[in-house]
Amino acid sequence: MRDYILFYINGERHEVRGKFAGMMLADYLRYVRGLTGTKIVCSEGDCGACSVLRLNSMDLQKKTKAFFEPINSCITLVAKMDGSSIVTVEGLAEENLSPVQKSLVTFNGTQCGFCTPGFAITLTGLVEKKIQTCTRNEKVSKLANKKNSEKNNEEINEKEVKNSLTGNLCRCTGYQPILNAATSIDLTQCSSLKNRYFTPSQKQDLLKSQNKSIQISEKHFSYFAGTSIKAASDYLMKHKNTKIIGAGTDLGVLSNKNKIDLTHIISLHLIYELHELKKIQGNRFRVGASVTLNELRHAVLETIPEFAQLLNIFASPQIKNVATLVGNVANASPIGDTLPFLLVTNSVIHIVGPKGIRKVKIEEFYLDYKKTSLKKAEFISAIEFDIPKKDENLALYKNSQRKDLDISCLNSAFRLKWKNENTRQIQHIQIAYGGVGPVPLRLYKTENIFTDQILTETLLEKAIKEMHAEISPQSDVRGSSSYRHILAENYFRKYMSSLL
Amino acid sequence: MKIFHDSSLSHVTGSSEYVDDRPFLQGELQVGVLYSPWARAKIKKIDMQEALKIPGVVGIFTAKDFHHNVWGSIFQDQPLIADQEVNFVGEVVAVIAAENKTALTKAKDTISVKYEKLTAVLSLEEARRKKNYIGPERKIERGCIDSVFSQNQTQNQYQILEDQLTIQGADHFYLENQVAVAYPKEMDQIEVHSSSQHPTEVQHVVAHSLGLNSKDVVCIVKRMGGAFGGKESQAAPFAAYAALVAHKLKRSARLVLSKDDDMIITGKRNPFQNHYRVAFDSTGKIQGLDVQMFSDGGAFADLSTSIMERAMLHLDNAYFIPHIRIRGQVCRTNFHPHTAFRGFGAPKGVATIEQIIEKIALILNKDALEIRKLNCYTSKEGRDKTPYEQKVENNCLPELFEKLEKKCDYWNRRKKITQHNQSLFKNPFKKNLNSQLYGLSLTPVKFGIAFTTQFLNQGNALVHVHRDGSVQCSTGATEMGQGVNTKIAQLISEELGVPHHHIRIMPTSTDKNANTSPTAASSGTDLNGMAAVLAARKIKQRLNELASQLSLENSSKEIKFSDLVNEAYLKRISLSDYAHYQVPGLNFNKITGEGSAFSYFTQGVAASEVCIDIATGQVKVLQVDILMDLGRPLNKEIDWGQISGAFVQGMGWVTTENLFYSSEGKLLSHSPSTYKIPNIQDTPRIFNIDFFENNENTLNIRGSKAVGEPPLLLALSVWTAIQDALKRSISLPASSELILKTLVKNWGSSYEF
Repeated sequence: MRDYILFYINGERHEVRGKFAGMMLADYLRYVRGLTGTKIVCSEGDCGACSVLRLNSMDLQKKTKAFFEPINSCITLVAKMDGSSIVTVEGLAEENLSPVQKSLVTFNGTQCGFCTPGFAITLTGLVEKKIQTCTRNEKVSKLANKKNSEKNNEEINEKEVKNSLTGNLCRCTGYQPILNAATSIDLTQCSSLKNRYFTPSQKQDLLKSQNKSIQISEKHFSYFAGTSIKAASDYLMKHKNTKIIGAGTDLGVLSNKNKIDLTHIISLHLIYELHELKKIQGNRFRVGASVTLNELRHAVLETIPEFAQLLNIFASPQIKNVATLVGNVANASPIGDTLPFLLVTNSVIHIVGPKGIRKVKIEEFYLDYKKTSLKKAEFISAIEFDIPKKDENLALYKNSQRKDLDISCLNSAFRLKWKNENTRQIQHIQIAYGGVGPVPLRLYKTENIFTDQILTETLLEKAIKEMHAEISPQSDVRGSSSYRHILAENYFRKYMSSLL
Repeated sequence: MKIFHDSSLSHVTGSSEYVDDRPFLQGELQVGVLYSPWARAKIKKIDMQEALKIPGVVGIFTAKDFHHNVWGSIFQDQPLIADQEVNFVGEVVAVIAAENKTALTKAKDTISVKYEKLTAVLSLEEARRKKNYIGPERKIERGCIDSVFSQNQTQNQYQILEDQLTIQGADHFYLENQVAVAYPKEMDQIEVHSSSQHPTEVQHVVAHSLGLNSKDVVCIVKRMGGAFGGKESQAAPFAAYAALVAHKLKRSARLVLSKDDDMIITGKRNPFQNHYRVAFDSTGKIQGLDVQMFSDGGAFADLSTSIMERAMLHLDNAYFIPHIRIRGQVCRTNFHPHTAFRGFGAPKGVATIEQIIEKIALILNKDALEIRKLNCYTSKEGRDKTPYEQKVENNCLPELFEKLEKKCDYWNRRKKITQHNQSLFKNPFKKNLNSQLYGLSLTPVKFGIAFTTQFLNQGNALVHVHRDGSVQCSTGATEMGQGVNTKIAQLISEELGVPHHHIRIMPTSTDKNANTSPTAASSGTDLNGMAAVLAARKIKQRLNELASQLSLENSSKEIKFSDLVNEAYLKRISLSDYAHYQVPGLNFNKITGEGSAFSYFTQGVAASEVCIDIATGQVKVLQVDILMDLGRPLNKEIDWGQISGAFVQGMGWVTTENLFYSSEGKLLSHSPSTYKIPNIQDTPRIFNIDFFENNENTLNIRGSKAVGEPPLLLALSVWTAIQDALKRSISLPASSELILKTLVKNWGSSYEF
């Protein structure tokens, strides 16, 4: 047992005790450590100005490589940084500017400068990934190519840059100068931050700490991180007003906006088995509570490409590096991006409580707007769902005002199994919509219209009528009710037109 | 040689200092504001007794605590803290000072304010019905517009089109929220660090509100983390709140707004509703145009009347209209007081004429580009004067059209797009859900450079040459990322022959440069750069005299600058100077609507191609080609960034940026999770920016042209390209919801909504 959080900032060891552990990392960096390069703008993880790089030593227990990845420090508690090495913008340059910084200067990638630290950090994250995933052979051949070609910057392409910078907003440059800067970074000049900020001794120090649970108990702040499910469950039994903080990407926002109090919290990050992502029964995945969306995306890339594609436009890289599938489920938003998919894949939620584990079907999990069947002192340990078979037809759609890093206005999932593909006879279809009512919805009545039927235009028109009757979207800031009806129908028709 | 932004090194290392990066002084207090949840209400009672008992709460201040509780850039009509009545959601009713943020938050929840709700005016229509106006109606008129329409009734020469255009506001979304730190100094002096485009106004508002003289207040602006007009007037009240706390409690005081509070409290780009009647002939030539513009000023005047003037002065954009009448009236509603935003009123004027042209093209079944070229100002006598009778000098518009049209291969792309879209329109809507519609549009901008308020067209600068030959300069210009400091350093460097890295532009401070104008209207470099050059020139003249004297004395031909400077010092010759610059030749009369309003015009054209997803209405911008006339650019790299940045900012305004208010007048989209500015994925797939060679702008410093605002208006080409794809007009912004509904409505489908 220890009473402190252990992490490194720019190579400097920090043991954080007491209420400081309950601060947001950005506040801690700026107002306690005086590292004011990290900026706070939106306090909700939507602008990226607060980005810092984090290498989570826990990752090494799951995979062979761990990377410095960008995260949003404004919605991340210091307590969640336990076992990590953090690099802020102040840590990027050595004697000279880093190649990323140099490129941003040379290509005028900065104007007012307020978003710049976030961009420098996120781009460095991309560089870290690039130089470490390149095998040695590739590196050698690329170096050789470099000599032969005039252009020595082919290694980072525009698409990669855009995908990695989705979570960083800039209001001055129009992004083009930043894109030019990023695609011109000379990777051969880049060396990994690990050489400075994840040295063997730092690594060992961090890893060693991860076997010890943490308990901080003060009058106005308490924090517990146990190393087993039982310890966590026992603690929750005794401390009923404690909030479970997963990645905290939702709770952090609520706390910043004074909607909840994060003064008594428990973290599950030290429980090894919750980091597990496993194939079970041959055709299902079980995803532990601590598995990040980024890890999930990698895992389903081959088996469920449609889901991986959806996760591409889910939130930002910074969020996906910490946020979890379980978090998206527990948040219980009617427009949670993964929920329609989980609704059509027979998902089951594993809930740990005082009496052990109970399993709940996702359809039964959501009771009302933001209300779930989760009781006090319970937490979700894992979710399992089907891997749709090759002969099944899966489609996922998401609509939002802005395509990337935007909360859905409406989303939907379709999964169809043919009885006889040649005659277009359907065995059954599963349809789920989000953003059409207080909870994400399975459209059972509409589904039934298709069961055992041959797919025709007439059947489709009948089903569309039923679909409109089954949904009851509201008008809000993301779109009007009528707009959502049109979208619901268009996605329906879009999907069906691919089958007809 | 490329010269980079003078802060770029500190930006990328995170060492650039913004207001909230200043170290906390001992005893420094956090300042917060409590604001009205109602659009209009009587304040019956404010009870702060319980809140004052919260540990850490040090003081709570209300309207009565200001010596003068009123401010306003044009009209002094706005209370700093609401007194007796609130007039918009977000209007500050109390200022709280506390030792820490927790106490601040608790105090906000504990102070009890009793309101009595009053009927609020929450639409432009209602304000007009009630004749809730701010300022007088303005008018610009030329020719005889009434007779164009009345004659046409008998002669039927022209087609007449009558319609209206609704334009929504937009949030500035500067990354650095409103912020100020105030330090109490001896003998009641105040030093305030503000993120403001207008330090002089901050100084004046702080002094006036606290009952001090201007001599007792210094406002310092090192830099802003973005502003875009949002910190021209509206930085001042926040500085005043921090100063109030510092003044009353004699402790340093810091106010940092959250993004949510910032968006709820501060004003936006003014929404407009423009009604028009236009007469045009069968070729598309516009004969007469009668426009009545109404803008939503919000609850208080702020800069809205000036914004309206600029809107009216830009209604013509690039087009000569023989008979024209433009009337403009600002209306008072119960929304946050709307304010300056890049382009000021101009985008709203230009959007109107560009939509009129789109409509004419649709009616005549012609390409809108042809209509644009047909109506464009030419150098021909009789077609070269604006409605306010200023001659369009140095008019490159026809040439810009011609060059870009060729360069972007407009007509071939047009052909392809027409074929593609026509093939889709043949099918029913629901059969096209996997397809996209394409649209292409090429629009111009002619942006007048000068403040329309004449007295603002002045600048001053102070230059010190130090004994080692390095130079410090300070001006009234404020740095918000636009690179004004870099450009001024370049200008001094050229004037003195000193390398630019030997020159440092110092923080803007009202004790060094007084009575300055806001850094606005794209004029920062024009005004302050010129003043800096004039000041440097005075020093140079003295050094020149000394140099010739020295070369006479010891026949040596060369002397190092630093040696010369040192020699001057020893000879007791002044190495510092100050200069003032007044822009010549402006004589616009706001009341008659006539005269030279601008010293020159920055011009440009852009061609945008968009693609619309038929199932969702989502827009992608595929290609943008821009050709910009910036005279002889002072710094091409910096100007390039201004163009790309302004364009993408404009794209947000015309597409995804939606301000969504509740029926009670509260802004609901008050953070980036609901208010969507363009993201890196939204940038044009192909983005070409070129400069038009123009060496003829002799009017401005070094033949350059101002760049800050004009390219924003080119983003209207994205909006008109959407209309081109839809073959329908659409209001602004063209959100995907609006686009989808327009498609559904006009494509004969079974949808009901």
